[in-house]
Amino acid sequence: MEETQNIDVTKNPEAEDAIESTKQKQSEEVEHHCDEQQKQSQEEDELRKLLLSDIEELPLSPPSATQLNFVSYFITDFTKPGHDHYIYRHANGLCVIGLAPTHRAFKDQGGITNIDFNVGKSDRSVLKVSGKRKKNAMRSESNTALCKVSTANDSYIVRCCVKGSLLEVNERLMKQPQLLNSSADREGYIAIIMPRPADWTKNKESLITLEEYKEKKQDILLEPYFSDIPHLRRLALMSDLSSRIVSQIEYYFRRIRAMTDDIHLILRSMGSSTTVEVQVNS
Amino acid sequence: MSDESKPAPGGLLNGLETQKTRRVNEAARSLHPSAVKDLLSLGVCERCILRLVTVTATFDSDLATVSSSTLRGWLGSGVEEAASPEPSICIVCLGVLQFVFSDAKQTLVKSDHVAWITDLVKQQGHEFDSFVLEVSLPSTISENERAVLLYLKGKYSDEAWLQSEKVSVKDALKVLVLDPLRASLGAKSDSSSFHIRLTYSQASDEAQGLSETKHERKKRKTDEENGSNCMSENPFKKVSEPCILSVHCNKMPIFFGGRYFKYSRNVSQSRWIIDDERMGEASVEEIIGGSILPACLGDSYKFHAAGREDIDVRMLGSGRPFLIEVQNSRKCPSQQSLTEIEEKINNSEKKLVGVKDLKFIGSECWAMMREGEAEKQKQYAALVWISRPLEEEDCNSVSSMKELKILQKTPIRVLHRRSQLERERTIHWMKVEKIKGNAHYFLLHLCTQAGTYIKEFVHGDLGRTTPSMGSILGCRAEIIQLDVTDVKMGDS
Repeated sequence: MEETQNIDVTKNPEAEDAIESTKQKQSEEVEHHCDEQQKQSQEEDELRKLLLSDIEELPLSPPSATQLNFVSYFITDFTKPGHDHYIYRHANGLCVIGLAPTHRAFKDQGGITNIDFNVGKSDRSVLKVSGKRKKNAMRSESNTALCKVSTANDSYIVRCCVKGSLLEVNERLMKQPQLLNSSADREGYIAIIMPRPADWTKNKESLITLEEYKEKKQDILLEPYFSDIPHLRRLALMSDLSSRIVSQIEYYFRRIRAMTDDIHLILRSMGSSTTVEVQVNS
Repeated sequence: MSDESKPAPGGLLNGLETQKTRRVNEAARSLHPSAVKDLLSLGVCERCILRLVTVTATFDSDLATVSSSTLRGWLGSGVEEAASPEPSICIVCLGVLQFVFSDAKQTLVKSDHVAWITDLVKQQGHEFDSFVLEVSLPSTISENERAVLLYLKGKYSDEAWLQSEKVSVKDALKVLVLDPLRASLGAKSDSSSFHIRLTYSQASDEAQGLSETKHERKKRKTDEENGSNCMSENPFKKVSEPCILSVHCNKMPIFFGGRYFKYSRNVSQSRWIIDDERMGEASVEEIIGGSILPACLGDSYKFHAAGREDIDVRMLGSGRPFLIEVQNSRKCPSQQSLTEIEEKINNSEKKLVGVKDLKFIGSECWAMMREGEAEKQKQYAALVWISRPLEEEDCNSVSSMKELKILQKTPIRVLHRRSQLERERTIHWMKVEKIKGNAHYFLLHLCTQAGTYIKEFVHGDLGRTTPSMGSILGCRAEIIQLDVTDVKMGDS
């Protein structure tokens, strides 16, 4: 920098002025750029403060989207004993139907292995509802067959439970039926039905609330089943734990299980026959 | 005969005036005399006669300078009509070209027509320096004209003046009224966004008048086709009531634009009322529109925004572009008053909504909204909870996902009013910001394609959005709160 300045002084005073002024401009630009950067980071700081302003006390386990936006209803022993379903109704009227934790299918060893939507007159999984007005939706009564779930020993027909238009069935279940075992109340939902307001009002009379369901099915909820995960879920229901805590417990439970497997490996390699067991007490 | 034909002392203007009147005079005298006599006796007004019987149609603008009675004098040399105190209403134009009309209460207006119209325009309170004149006439006028022309054709077939194109009553009125109105209002009359509409309507009992009923019209059409003229069967009835004239002013909508911020989680974007109950505390639309409307003295406003957010989502960062359209504004507020409005909203006690860059927008407003709509990227900050503690490798794996493609089925919360579709969307980038002291919560910053449902991307919507935050991290995830931190538009 300085060398050029010296050379220019001897050669051309005008050029030197020009260079001086551009240098000044450059440093001004750099300053300006710094100012802008400062301003930007200031704005970002303010934004960050705003973003975190509401975070005072974060609950250990907040309510889930399902709990916030849906009202839970249950219907028990529908057409047959042990056929218990849940109906989660959204504020906009749509109903998500699925198997309640006390459904007979979960009692069978190995849980649910298969699901088939081809029941009744048509395959429910191929229906395509189009448009806002939901054209081509199958109109169902509450006892219309929805699908058939099979376990190792038996198969059970699942019915719509709600009169309305069938908007969607959960086709993921066809490839992953174990979703019914692990999360029947979320990813393992079976169908979405849209009832008409008049139909819903009538239907509602045969449904019970979560509290009533817990009371009615107390005994079954406490029975130990073969698969641990639904057992935990039922425990959560009984103990009034938020099911969000259940998923947290599930995670740690799985971790502990994995660790016990590792411990077993170590013990075997040491030639020991000691076993480690983990028990969950209600 | 009349004084106007002598050049008045002093002034080129008067000279021009007399030139015009001389031209009108000449034209009047050159008309076919018996046709004129005929029409006068039927009850057609002077200006209509001039319109219908003249050969050249170009001089109507000069007519404005000549009064009715003078014209009558020139037309009728030798007609036995005793100057009746009030000439009867023209059977063709129903008094429109005679400037005879009633007000809304059906009382005959005695004052000068230009002054009366000017008064009504001023009453409506608009600020303007130019206007466009619109005229609306009852359909019977054109039917009357057709009837009279048919009659003339029957009597004076093959005359030259019959073949030429006639100036319509509407055009004649506009030409007669435009210059005086211009002078009286002190405004130009080129293309403008301010419209003055003169609506003539028939007094109800005159609705039949001279016009044909549908049946008669059909009969006439078929008779014409068969080569006979049946008009001679219907004598021309007298018109007893003039038309009712109403004046209505309308200014084309004006637009204001800017960017808005939403700081509250209980404020909807537009007015939201279900069963007479308002959802949320207020709305962005009402806060902004309600401040601008009084400044414009307009009738109503419409709110348009480039996209929208849920009621419980805040709009932060650089704000969301919006437009306010004001209908029939009486005045246009200055930039100064717009700045004051902006400050008032920003400094309000509750701090629900903020506004930036509020300014008047011209015709480029819609282009501004559409700009880059498809390429719009949105940036969000979401507070996410997961069912297991956050680990270091989670932050890395999430940040390394660029241009992640996700498939979203229509979320259940909107499925009742939108089509059942599977939409592919892109998450351009994500960044995890840890929160001190709490391993189950973190702030997720993400930049996504327009039209992505963020809430469903986080909690998975019962598995209908894949992949979701939960599936990526292998656990349950819930969204606690969401904020929009940037709406990128084209260049800004």
